[in-house]
Amino acid sequence: MAVVMAWVLVGVPCLRAQSSKPTDYDVKAVYLFNFGRFVEWPANGTAAKNDSFAICVLGQDPFGPALDATLAGETIDGKSVVAKRISTPEESGDCRIVFMSSAEDARMNKIIAALNKEAVLTVSDIPQFSQHGGMIQFVLEGKKVRFEVNLTAVQHAGLTLSSELLKVATTVRRNSSGD
Amino acid sequence: MLKVQHYSISKKLTLMNLLVSAAALLLACAGFCAYDLYSLRTAVIGNVSMQAQIIGDNTVSALLFNDPHSAEKTLSALRANPNLMYAQIYTYDGQPFAGYWRDRAGETRALPMIPAGQTQSHWFRDGHLGLARSIIFQGKAMGTVYIRSDLRAMNDRFKSYALIIAIVFLASLMVALLISRIFERRISKPVKELAETVRIVSREKDYSIRAAATGSQDELATLVDAFNEMLEQIQGHEVALRQAHDELEERVQERTRQLAAANQELEIRNHEVERATRMKSRFLASMSHELRTPLNAIVGFSDLLAEQTPGQLNDKQQRFVSHIKQGSAHLLQLINDILDLSKIEAGQLEFRCEDFQVKDALPEVLSTIRPLAMAKSIQIEQKLGTDHQVHADRVRFKQVLYNLLSNAVKFTPKAGRIDIDCREDGNFVAISVTDTGIGIRAEDQAVIFEEFRQVEGPAEAAQEGTGLGLAISKRLVERQGGRISLESEFGKGSRFTFTLPVGSTASQTPLISGPTILPVAAGGGRGKPLILIVDDEIAARELLATYLSPEYQIVMAESGAEAVVKAQQLRPDAITLDVLMPDSTGFETLVALRKTPDTASIPIIIVSIVDQKQVGFALGAADYLIKPIRKSALLETIRKHVAPQSDDDETILLVDDDPRTLELLEETLRSAGYETESVRSGARALEVLSSKQVSAVLLDLLMPGMDGFEVIRHVRQEPTLKELPIFVMTAKSLTGDELAVLNRETQALFHKNGSWHPQLIVEVGRVFQGRKLARSAAQS
Repeated sequence: MAVVMAWVLVGVPCLRAQSSKPTDYDVKAVYLFNFGRFVEWPANGTAAKNDSFAICVLGQDPFGPALDATLAGETIDGKSVVAKRISTPEESGDCRIVFMSSAEDARMNKIIAALNKEAVLTVSDIPQFSQHGGMIQFVLEGKKVRFEVNLTAVQHAGLTLSSELLKVATTVRRNSSGD
Repeated sequence: MLKVQHYSISKKLTLMNLLVSAAALLLACAGFCAYDLYSLRTAVIGNVSMQAQIIGDNTVSALLFNDPHSAEKTLSALRANPNLMYAQIYTYDGQPFAGYWRDRAGETRALPMIPAGQTQSHWFRDGHLGLARSIIFQGKAMGTVYIRSDLRAMNDRFKSYALIIAIVFLASLMVALLISRIFERRISKPVKELAETVRIVSREKDYSIRAAATGSQDELATLVDAFNEMLEQIQGHEVALRQAHDELEERVQERTRQLAAANQELEIRNHEVERATRMKSRFLASMSHELRTPLNAIVGFSDLLAEQTPGQLNDKQQRFVSHIKQGSAHLLQLINDILDLSKIEAGQLEFRCEDFQVKDALPEVLSTIRPLAMAKSIQIEQKLGTDHQVHADRVRFKQVLYNLLSNAVKFTPKAGRIDIDCREDGNFVAISVTDTGIGIRAEDQAVIFEEFRQVEGPAEAAQEGTGLGLAISKRLVERQGGRISLESEFGKGSRFTFTLPVGSTASQTPLISGPTILPVAAGGGRGKPLILIVDDEIAARELLATYLSPEYQIVMAESGAEAVVKAQQLRPDAITLDVLMPDSTGFETLVALRKTPDTASIPIIIVSIVDQKQVGFALGAADYLIKPIRKSALLETIRKHVAPQSDDDETILLVDDDPRTLELLEETLRSAGYETESVRSGARALEVLSSKQVSAVLLDLLMPGMDGFEVIRHVRQEPTLKELPIFVMTAKSLTGDELAVLNRETQALFHKNGSWHPQLIVEVGRVFQGRKLARSAAQS
């Protein structure tokens, strides 16, 4: 964790154990975990009943071992954070956060529609993701990984997003899509 | 402050109050200030800490999502607080993440250390507060926020606080001063008033003043009460004192009045006493004159009768005349003693004290006593130490010594012995006369010095004494500051001792008795020529005196110088001279006597152990005798040179108002071969002197009309009579002044209280012989 935090906070991926620079996905893995810290899930949701805090990757996993390494030993609200890999939206029953792989680009709308019924934070780096009802979309600002927030989608799902998170978002969309 | 002890009490009180108030206020203000500073600092720290926390909370997401821009936006909110100079956010591993500078010209600082286990630390440095605080998110440290704030606000606040405190301080001090003034007045005013009262009381001595009450019940009131009480007591004492003083004064006045009265009475008494004294003096004077004059006639005529001048007497007549002589001599002695005693009692006896040596006065007395002693074969021994100087009246000294010696001779049986010794006892010289006489009983010793006391003794001794000698001696000695005492054992002898003050040995003036006051040679033969014995050894002098005294009158000198002086004064008929003497040799003395006109004609017989006849005769000695000498040889030689009384027809003018005295004098002088002429008043005497050549005058002093002193004055005023020899014969008691006049103006003084005949013949003879010798010297 300490190692992860170090390079996350510095902002410039710099893993001391690794000779190469942290990749975008290394950063995105950390961000996924951090999102979990700024979001509140409805207490009566299915995911809340779970013992663990599951961060799920839908479709082809772009993180490799990075996500597991990031989440190892971490807890949020006293629950241990685990990474899960799923292939369909239906498997996301106990997921708090679902990262939609860019490989799922084609069925993005279908997946968004399916997931938005659940109290699940949807994150993806697929372009136009937030405009299409996705909640948080990674974007690149130069070489820096940033993200956009679709607040309407978040509120629709019954989730509460910390204003802190909004402060650092590049764009916060309201009522922009979904219709 | 140095002179704070000189301040008035009110000043001191004020000063004390001010100091106390100022000290208390200063302490309080210092406490306030310290507390203010502390609370201001705490507030600043709290404020900055809160800001740091807010900043930290608001930059957690920026840190988590690596968004320094967002953090800087958050930090820029700090601009609202102008005191914040600088803020910086550091990442978890201490790298600067975002910063804020008030003046936009900042530099990034290294991450300050926060002590382990704490989330915050702060420090004041260089006028600012630095504070570092960990950014905690969900229980985990995410980074650090560091804020630096200047302290201007705090300082401003502190300054205004200090100002307020200073104002409060001053105001409090003023109030304290005001209050202390009020209280001080309550304390110091009574003290000042008390002090003023004390000063007035002490200055005016008015003890009726009272100090005013203070009206309070404190110690000052007690002091004032005590002071007033003290004044009350002093006033009481003063009143008592004044009363006592007044009483005393009254008593003193009373006493003064009494004293004045007593004084007045005393003065009256004094007058009476003075009158009585004057009367007594007059009585004494007339007594001495009136008693002696007739007695003089008795003594004189009986003398003449005894000498058978008027004609041969048969045995019976001679015996009767001798009884008359003895009786009258005794009576004369008695009168003299009584008069002496009276004079002593009346304080009229004058003492002319001088320093002289005992051994010088002794021979003159001895020469009188020795014939008496020799008649009874009594040996007189003198044990005189060296140079005993006494301070006394020489004449009175001799009188005392004579009295004691004649007493001793009287009461010592034949072939007895009399010792004279002399010793010094402290400041006194004690002279003792010891005899081997009958002694005096112890019970008589106490009264022996009283008047008219005589101890039982031989009949003839009792007859001879007047019973006044010891009484007179006692008084004479005591008046001269000495004492007389007696030690005696009945049947064995007596020892009389008298003391006189020691004279100073420094004033060892040569002994010159007055030129005309000659030693009284009681019992001497008539018309005896005068011989001057010069020898330094007293034994030799005494021997010569013993050989010569029956026929000649003796004067002694113990040195050459004394011999020259005495020879000039006394003009002796002959001089015996020792050659070996300490100060100047006899030859020198011989030359000196020869050179002096007055003494050049006096025959000088050298009596010496050295045989230097050639020298002696060459220097003008009349004769030369070698010691030891025989009495017969000495007398033969003296007779060869001393001419018998001249039978020159010299006329002597006799002046006396008493015809019997005149007749007596005529008889006496004519029997000695002189012509006389008698007048009975001073005026007549002057008439005779102006008309007739007279060789000498024999003058009475007390005469009606012109008295003797007046006659002397007139005679001495006459140029032709300046050198006229005047002899004075009187029964008058002379004063010192009178004596001085007589010493200056006359040749000799004879007193009717003694046996004056022999002296008269000697003196007259001497004067006439001197004139004759002078005349013959002038002719040759």
